[in-house]
Amino acid sequence: MLVVEGLTCRFGTKAAVDNASFSIAPGSFVGVIGRSGAGKSTLLRMINRLADPTSGRILFEGTDVTALRGKELRRWRARSAMIFQQFNLVGRLDVLTNVLMGRLAQIPSWRSLAQVWPEQDRALALSALEQFDIAQLAAQRADQLSGGQQQRVAIARALVQEPDIILADEPIASLDPRNTKIVMDALLRINKHFGITVLCNLHSLDLARTYCDRLVGMAAGRVVFDGAPAALTDHIARELYDLEANDVIGAAPLPAPDGATAPALGTAAAA
Amino acid sequence: MSQMPRPDTTELRAKYPGVFERPASARLAMPAMIAAALAIFVFGLVDLDFSPSRLIAGLGQLGWITMLMLPPNPGSSFPLYMQALGETLSIAVLGTTLAAVLALPVSLLAARNIIPSNLIRFPVRRFLDSIRGVDTLIWALVWINVVGLGPFAGVLAIMVSDFGAFGKLFSEAIEAADRKQVEGIRASGGNALHEIRFGLLPQVLPVIAGQVLYFIESNTRSATIIGIVGAGGIGLQLAEQIRVLEWQKVSFLILMILIAVAAIDFISSKLRFAIIGQRAVV
Repeated sequence: MLVVEGLTCRFGTKAAVDNASFSIAPGSFVGVIGRSGAGKSTLLRMINRLADPTSGRILFEGTDVTALRGKELRRWRARSAMIFQQFNLVGRLDVLTNVLMGRLAQIPSWRSLAQVWPEQDRALALSALEQFDIAQLAAQRADQLSGGQQQRVAIARALVQEPDIILADEPIASLDPRNTKIVMDALLRINKHFGITVLCNLHSLDLARTYCDRLVGMAAGRVVFDGAPAALTDHIARELYDLEANDVIGAAPLPAPDGATAPALGTAAAA
Repeated sequence: MSQMPRPDTTELRAKYPGVFERPASARLAMPAMIAAALAIFVFGLVDLDFSPSRLIAGLGQLGWITMLMLPPNPGSSFPLYMQALGETLSIAVLGTTLAAVLALPVSLLAARNIIPSNLIRFPVRRFLDSIRGVDTLIWALVWINVVGLGPFAGVLAIMVSDFGAFGKLFSEAIEAADRKQVEGIRASGGNALHEIRFGLLPQVLPVIAGQVLYFIESNTRSATIIGIVGAGGIGLQLAEQIRVLEWQKVSFLILMILIAVAAIDFISSKLRFAIIGQRAVV
């Protein structure tokens, strides 16, 4: 259970996130929606502690995440895996090493710094890549991959962190429609098969309605909606998105997700 | 032919006075600066005793020296000169490599994205600046007095002066690195060393390698110069032969230096392309 209590983040006088409170049950797929600049990104970054809250607390299974320091903080970052809009892979490293970055918190530092990865971790990384059909790219440099492939590598990196929760910050904003579906389906599979909670920032309301079983709507840093996708009426959505409403509502219909019916996956990465 | 309607000049004048009535200072600034630059130039010529007549008188001497230089001839000293050239190349390569190895960790301390605190960064930067402010030649004179004549002093001279230059160049390369890649490592649970090792170094190493190669090339020339003041290598031989007026040997030594520099230039540009070119091919 992830609990967010009165979380606030100020940059100068402007509050990027203003007194946000909600709790998320394990195993759910929650979408955070709202217009650009509503504070969605800052919210996710605070949960992973890439950004520090000005006030408020984040509790995970009773532990105050906001108070963690040093090794404990690194452990938490591994448990709350981030997926970024720009993938944030290291372009000049090969794909396998990029995935192995997800093991840093578990492996003794001398081993990782000398690149003496335990065989088991290599196998884990490779099987994660296999699940997204990109194991054959393992030896390629990450910056030679297409955007969709890079994002799948990033998801594999998140998966080998063996996280309890995945925080996806606009994971499909830099992708074309076909890769959008591949990446969203991958997130859905992780959620359904491994029971990993997914908290996903989305700009597109249609995607959010299609994939998420709960939506948190943000406007000007505040949580203004929290409920099932069905409860989000057009009226509320229009308020949420204001002038952008027509861009995000009623666009071309999206293909139905097939994550729930996807073939059973290898379980190595879930171990 | 179209014609724009003539605007009302008085109204525009009142609205934008700065455009129509530029102050005298603005109008005279450019001519004044040109006049000042000319005056300084002329003063310099007079003060430094620049006299064309002496140059013309000396031209005959220059021609005479050139005649004496032909044909270039090492006499029986060729093996000695080859050894000296090898010494010069080793001074350049060793000095530059040591400088790069020492400068890399220090440059991290001088980079804003690694050390946000001014408290550490500022003194490190000023330290690098002051080392860089002293030329290689001066460092050579200093080290010759400390460790004696010879190539060791040359290596130390190049190491110290390039340490300052590398520290600055590396820290700038580090500051230009993409933050997102480092953030990806941090978000996965990496510590500060991981962020540097996996997030930063893959990005900056190609840049650094290119800079080191260029410095090896330019230090081959510097090593010749510091050889003249006694830091070993081919420069020492050159100074010696000029002193005893053995012009044929001098011209031979100059030819050797030219060929060596050209060879280093060729090799390093090939290597640089092999390292950086990878990126361009993608």
